[in-house]
Amino acid sequence: MLDVAGGDHDSGPPTTGSSVLLRVAIRIRAASTLKVTALAFVVGLAFGALLIILTTPALLRSWGGLFSHPGGTIALNAKSIWGDYELLFCGGVFDPRAVWAAIQHSNNANWTTALSPLSSTLTFATPLILAGLGLAVGFRTNLFDIGGQGQLIGGALGAVYVGFTVHAPAPVLVLLEVLAGIAGGLLVAAIPALLKAFSGAHEVITTMMMNYAMLNLLVYLVSVSPFQRPGQQQGESKSIVPAGQLPKLFGSISSSLQVNAGFLIALVAVGAVAWFLNRSTLGFELQMVGANPDAAKTAGVSSRRVIIIALCIAGALVGLAGMAQVSGVDPPYVSPAYGGTIGFDAIVVALLGRNRPLGVLFAALLFGALDAGGHFMQVNSPTNIDYSLALVIQAVIVFCVATPALMVALFRLRASATTQAGLASGGWAK
Amino acid sequence: MPPMKLELRGITKRFGSLVANRDVNLTIEPGEIHCLLGENGAGKSTLMNVLFGMVSMNEGEILVNDERVVIKDPKDAVANGIGMVHQHFMLVPVFTVAENVVLGAEPVRPWPFLDRIGAAREIREVSRRYGLDVDPDAVVENLPIGMQQRVEILKALDRDVEVLILDEPTAVLTPQEAEALFGIMRSLTAQGKSIVFITHKLKEVLAIADRITVMRLGEVVATTTPAETTESALAALMVGRSVNLVVDKAPARPRDVVLAVDDVYVEDDRGLTSVRGLSLSVHAGEILAIAGVQGNGQTELVEALTGLRSVASGSISIRGRNVANRSVRSVLHAGVGHIPEDRQRNGLVLTMSIDDNLVLDLQHDPRFSRFGMRNLKAIHENGARRLEEFDIRAANSAVLVSTLSGGNQQKVVVARELSRDLHLLICSQPTRGLDVGSIEYVHREIVRNRDAGVAVLVISSELDEVTALADRIAVMFGGRLMGIVPPSTSRDQLGLMMAGSDHELVAAGAAP
Repeated sequence: MLDVAGGDHDSGPPTTGSSVLLRVAIRIRAASTLKVTALAFVVGLAFGALLIILTTPALLRSWGGLFSHPGGTIALNAKSIWGDYELLFCGGVFDPRAVWAAIQHSNNANWTTALSPLSSTLTFATPLILAGLGLAVGFRTNLFDIGGQGQLIGGALGAVYVGFTVHAPAPVLVLLEVLAGIAGGLLVAAIPALLKAFSGAHEVITTMMMNYAMLNLLVYLVSVSPFQRPGQQQGESKSIVPAGQLPKLFGSISSSLQVNAGFLIALVAVGAVAWFLNRSTLGFELQMVGANPDAAKTAGVSSRRVIIIALCIAGALVGLAGMAQVSGVDPPYVSPAYGGTIGFDAIVVALLGRNRPLGVLFAALLFGALDAGGHFMQVNSPTNIDYSLALVIQAVIVFCVATPALMVALFRLRASATTQAGLASGGWAK
Repeated sequence: MPPMKLELRGITKRFGSLVANRDVNLTIEPGEIHCLLGENGAGKSTLMNVLFGMVSMNEGEILVNDERVVIKDPKDAVANGIGMVHQHFMLVPVFTVAENVVLGAEPVRPWPFLDRIGAAREIREVSRRYGLDVDPDAVVENLPIGMQQRVEILKALDRDVEVLILDEPTAVLTPQEAEALFGIMRSLTAQGKSIVFITHKLKEVLAIADRITVMRLGEVVATTTPAETTESALAALMVGRSVNLVVDKAPARPRDVVLAVDDVYVEDDRGLTSVRGLSLSVHAGEILAIAGVQGNGQTELVEALTGLRSVASGSISIRGRNVANRSVRSVLHAGVGHIPEDRQRNGLVLTMSIDDNLVLDLQHDPRFSRFGMRNLKAIHENGARRLEEFDIRAANSAVLVSTLSGGNQQKVVVARELSRDLHLLICSQPTRGLDVGSIEYVHREIVRNRDAGVAVLVISSELDEVTALADRIAVMFGGRLMGIVPPSTSRDQLGLMMAGSDHELVAAGAAP
């Protein structure tokens, strides 16, 4: 959304507002995404290190002795921080010792340990990839769809309903669930799409409101028939029958390895969305409307049609994420807690991936790895580091990567909207 | 402040590998009107932005009365007696003239209350001194463009500037308003102020300048005076070769009516009627040019013709088929080429490649897509061919269109619109902001299409362009047609019509 939207209306460098901050932001935005993300990751780790020190009493106390034995203080802190980050890495990417053990003594238990980081990273990443792709399609059309959560719930409700009502062979049932998931997400997105196209209602407001509507619908549905699981007070839906659950990729090794066919669906979706955006006329029209709606209109593109299509595609992909999450990852039913914050994290993933399909894939994998590593770290850390540390690192990365784009976009918008009026008054002030 | 001599010495400004100014020397003597002339991209604006502190230079120095000064931002520039009136005015529309003038340096007596009466008095005094007739209590948005420009000039004068930079000040003015501006400029220089006047228009340069500096490709190529030079000599200096300012065309051989507009009314965005009962027709093989100062309904008329804006009443037909209130796509399919007024806003997607921009409204053409799938190979081949054919200066057709100069961007739009089978070509301000070389090129293409039997409608606020291109001239004012006259009509008469005098009245000599 941000780096494709709008145009550079001035040929010169944007000196408007010429604050140091903006200049830094412009420079960051001009640099390569990979470099910036890597640097942002380092900044995130540094910030995280600071938090580890501040939240660990023993480390905090050690700074009192900085002047009497500086070496010892630094070593203690470094060791502790290194230890936590080692856990983060081992839990999110791979644990060399576990892999080595599995190679030496090849058995299911060892392989389960060795594959577990990969499995949980991909499991966390799968819905983020699918939902991130969907939102990215909207952003590329300059539609700020923040209704990921509602569309996710819509997709999951559709998939679950098919999953516990239909009796069919596994492949057919899964296919029906996929279609139901797509339909669920699409329907939820279609309401804001039609409102935007025909009445001009802003999609930010309507999609956000749909989130609340869908959450409440979910809470209601799981407590009544036909969704409610008999005998459940908490409000849970019936489970998708085993045949309707997406097969686990490492199911033959251990059922605790959650990574499932949903990840493969996500990979296919990455390719499909990339094809759609780069090769199809419709994708081209979407991007025209996103980058310059006036030029699109002048070229005879119906923005109404494009808005409806783009939001529906977004909803369909997010709905697919909802389906993959509920029928691929335990538990195979929905409850009011379903989805966590996937719908919102996907916004950030799309932003971090600069709305490009491959970018979304890598951003989702990075987030998945931090999620997985964070959980692993929390369980295994000797200093009781909380899982939230991973969230902090995620947040810092997003701040570093996304805010420059946001700032530049905002300043550009203002500069072109007021035709450098800000500059003029600045100039004339004595 | 006493009269001031301003000198730029050895100014070099680089943007990355691009050298926008190379070792530029320029001296502004007290009390002179110094014209800065050059093609787009010649470095005039960059030089002035350096002088006004909006861009920092890589090398060189600025001297005021032979003393070196440092100008880091516009504030420094104003403090050193340098003022600038931008092409796009920087006024607050809902403020009064007085409020706009004092904005940023408000007289607060007693603090923190704005001394409105004092401000108005101050402005009356300044406007009287320089012969700038402006009512300090008028609200800016109600003022005509020429008046708004005076407010900008007042803003600078109120801050005691000695050197005033005017960036393309006549682009938005009627000939009469431009004359009035020249009067003001002369009265300013008579009182010792000096003026840097940036323009494209050679006639104005010769009419007003004391000295002329011509820039090309970032360097000063000549400094001369009106007495020593001619229009064609200046044009040759600007482009580095002799150019033909007159469009070379045979008499038109008009055939059937292609576009027929009958009693059309169109409303603008605010719901105000901006085109009032306009009727005209354009024949195959002729160029009808609509002259008029911008904002007299031309934009809305073109939007209505192309399907971008609905028509309140009246009919528009192309080759006998009604197209009023039809979709843009169906109008384009009726064989209409549209070169929009603002190429960056309506004609191009700057963040896309030249290739893509060349097929913006042709993407469903079977040449470029099949079964909803874009034929990237054909699109790229088309881009490469057009690049060659239309002499678009770019490394290759895959580069972003935003990296091109204005003239080359316009060529992309023209190339695209001419790559269909056309019956009607609508060109809005087809050469706005272009250099002489590109103007010549675009004009030739328009005439070539006319000769091939296309009906051409040109909308332009440049009188030179209108008289050079048109086979018939229609003048618009206040949403109405003031009359249709032959291209031999005098500039004075056209100017009067553009200011709202009826054709018959003008012809009868009854107009003021």
